[in-house]
Amino acid sequence: MKIKITSVIICLLTALAAPLFAQDSPLDTLTSHVAGIRQELDVLKRLKISGYIQAQFQVADSMGQPSFAGGNFASGVDKRFAIRRGRIKFQYDAPINEKGFSTSQYVLQFDVTEGGVNIKDAYAKITDPWSGWFSVTAGMQNRPFGYEIVYSSSLRESPERGRMSQIIFRNERDLGAMVSIQGPKTTNWNWIKIDGGFFNGVGAPSALANGSDFDKKKDFIGHIGITRTDKSEMIKYGLGASYYDGGYRLDNDTIYSLNSDAAGVKGFEIISSSGNKGKFYAKRKYIGFDAQLSIDWMIGITTLRGEYVSGDQPNVSGSSVSPFAVVTSPIYNRKFNGAYFYFLQNIGQSPFQTIIKYDWYDPNTDVEKDEVGKTVNNGMKATSTTDVKYSTLGLGLAYRWDANVKLTAYYDIIKNETSSNLPPLYRTNQLDNVFTLRAQVKF
Amino acid sequence: MKKILIVAIFASVSFFSQAQKVVIKGSDTVLPLSQKEAETYMKKNAGKSITVVGGGSGVGLAALTDNSTDIAMSSRKIKMDEKMKLQDAGRAFKEVIIANDALSVIVNPSNKVSKLTRQQLEGIFTGKIKNWKEVGGDDLIIVVYSRETSSGTYEFFKEHVMNRKNYASSVLNMPATGAIIQSVSQTKGAIGYVGLAYLNKDVKDIAVSYDGKTFVNASLEAAMNKTYPIVRPLYYYYPTSKESIVKPFIDFVLSAEGQKVVDQVGYIPLGK
Repeated sequence: MKIKITSVIICLLTALAAPLFAQDSPLDTLTSHVAGIRQELDVLKRLKISGYIQAQFQVADSMGQPSFAGGNFASGVDKRFAIRRGRIKFQYDAPINEKGFSTSQYVLQFDVTEGGVNIKDAYAKITDPWSGWFSVTAGMQNRPFGYEIVYSSSLRESPERGRMSQIIFRNERDLGAMVSIQGPKTTNWNWIKIDGGFFNGVGAPSALANGSDFDKKKDFIGHIGITRTDKSEMIKYGLGASYYDGGYRLDNDTIYSLNSDAAGVKGFEIISSSGNKGKFYAKRKYIGFDAQLSIDWMIGITTLRGEYVSGDQPNVSGSSVSPFAVVTSPIYNRKFNGAYFYFLQNIGQSPFQTIIKYDWYDPNTDVEKDEVGKTVNNGMKATSTTDVKYSTLGLGLAYRWDANVKLTAYYDIIKNETSSNLPPLYRTNQLDNVFTLRAQVKF
Repeated sequence: MKKILIVAIFASVSFFSQAQKVVIKGSDTVLPLSQKEAETYMKKNAGKSITVVGGGSGVGLAALTDNSTDIAMSSRKIKMDEKMKLQDAGRAFKEVIIANDALSVIVNPSNKVSKLTRQQLEGIFTGKIKNWKEVGGDDLIIVVYSRETSSGTYEFFKEHVMNRKNYASSVLNMPATGAIIQSVSQTKGAIGYVGLAYLNKDVKDIAVSYDGKTFVNASLEAAMNKTYPIVRPLYYYYPTSKESIVKPFIDFVLSAEGQKVVDQVGYIPLGK
C-alpha cells in the first residue's frame, strides 16, 4: 500500500512538473524566443525604408540662365548650392505567398529640399495571387514610358534626365492606374514586361501645380520591354517600345498648325477659330523606342543606352513643355523628336566610371536653322525661339565610394540651333553650359 | 602609468582579435564545407575567428554588396546584375573556385525507380511527368521538392538539368538542403536534388543519364572521372579591399590540407 501511495505521489508530481520542466528547459525557452524574434523580424523586413540626398554645387556660364540641369538660375546668379533631391521612401510588401511572391505593395515617397516637401510616389500595387503575372498599380507613380523616365535618379549616372524627358514628362510621375503583365522571377518569361495604363496627363504635384486634372479625358501610356542576360553572364541587353496617346482640353478657340505661305516659308496658320473653347482636345501622341546593352569585358563593364521619341506636342506660342494647368491661350500644333544616348565605362573594377551622354530635343521638326523665325505672309505667324532645337553633350566622372556614397563631376555643353531670323541671343550659340559637382548619400 | 599600459594592451589585443574576424555568408551547399574548413583553420591558427552563415548564394552575394560579409559563398557563377551592383557600390571583387560538387537526385528509399534520363528529370521538374508510373515506377503521384529561388543550386539545376525551362508551379520550395532530405525521406512519392555531401541513407540517389544509355549514380569517383554529368564548381567571392584579411584562409582552403577537407566533407577537390 505504501508503495502504491508513493507511486501515485511520484506519478502526480511528475505529471504536474512535466509542463514546468518543458517550459523551463533552456532549449525550449531559446526556441520560443527565436521563433518570436523571427516573427517580429519578418514583419520588420517587409517594411523597407530607403532614401537619398543629392547635395550639389553648380557653376553656370552666365547669370540667371535658363537651365535643364536642375532648374533655371535665379537672376544675378551663376553659382549655387542646392539640395537637388532629398528622398525618403517607405515601402511595405505583403508576406510572400505559397507561390513565392508578394501580392500587394504600398509605397510612399517624399522629396524634401530647400524648396519644400513634395510627394513623389503614393501608390498601391496589387498582384494576382494565383499566377503572379498580373498586377495593378494605382496612385501617383512613374509614367511607364521608355527607360530614362522610370530609371531612379539615385542610380542614373548623369545628374539629370535629358531635355526631352523633362519637357514631355515634367516631374516623371503622374496620377493614374496601370496594369502590368510580367511573369514572376520563378518563370521563364520574367524577361518580358508589358505596362499600360490611364493617367491624368498633367504630371505630379509641384510648386507650380497641384497635380489635379483639368479635363475629363485620360491619357494612355504603355510600354513593352524585354531584358535578357546571356548564358555566360557577361552580356545584358534590353529593348523596349513606348506609346502615349492623350491630350488636354483647350480653353481658347484658336488652333494653329504649321503650313507654308505662297513663297514657301513655313509658319503657323489658323486652322480653326471658333467653337473650340471647352470642347477641343489638343492631341499628345508619342512613340518611342529604347535599347540598353551592358558588356563585362577586359577593361570593365561598358554600358550603352539610347532612346528615341517622336510625335505631336501641342502647346502655346512660347512653350513646348507639357502643360500642367488649363491652356487659355491659342494652341500651336508641333511635331517633335528627341533622343538620348549614354556611354558608360567602368574603369576596370575601380570605383571610377566615365560618363558620356548626348541628347537632343527638337520641338518643331518641320523647321530648322534660318527657317526658324522667318517672316511669313498670308496672315500666318512666324515660328519663334520656342521652335529652336537644343542638343547637350554631357561629360562626367563618377566615384562610387561605397554602397552609400557617390560623387559625380559633370559638365553639360549645350548647343542651340541658330537662326539669323531670331533675336540676337539665338543668332549664335548661347553661353549656357553648366558644371555640376554632386555628392549623393543613400541608404 | 601602469593602468594606461594595461588599457593600451587590452585595446591592442581587442583590435588585433577584431582584425582577425572573418565572416563568410551564402550558399547552403558550400556551408558544410566552409564550416569544416573554418574549424580546421581555427584549430591551426589560434586567435583567428571565422563565422560561417548560410542563406543561399544570392543572399551571400547581396551581402558582399552591402559590406556585411567578407567572403560570399556561391554554388553558381556571379550574375551580371550582381556584378553591376558591386561596381555601383565601388567594390572590386575576386572570384576563386574552391571545389567542385556533384548534384545528386534523390527519391524516397521505398521508390522502385532507380534511374532517370535528363529529359525525364526535366519532365518531372517542369510538371509534364506527374506520376511515377510514367517513368517505370508505381502508380504514385510525384511530389517534387526544390530549393528556394535565392539558392544557387536551384539555378544550377534549372540551367543544366532542366535546360533553362521553368519549374512547375506545384514544386515545393524548401529553405534548406536539410529540409529536402527530411521531406524526401518522409514522403513516398518525393523527388529532390541535393549536393553530394548531403547524401545519406535516409534517401535513395538516382542514376542519371544525359545520353539515354549510360546511367551513373552520383559519387566522388564518378564526378572525378567525369562520368557523372551533374557537376559544378563552388565559388568564393571576396572584395579586393579585404584581400589581406581573407587571403590566409582562402590560401588554406586551396592548400593540400584544405583540399583534403574538401574530400572529407564529400565534395570534389580541385585538380582531380
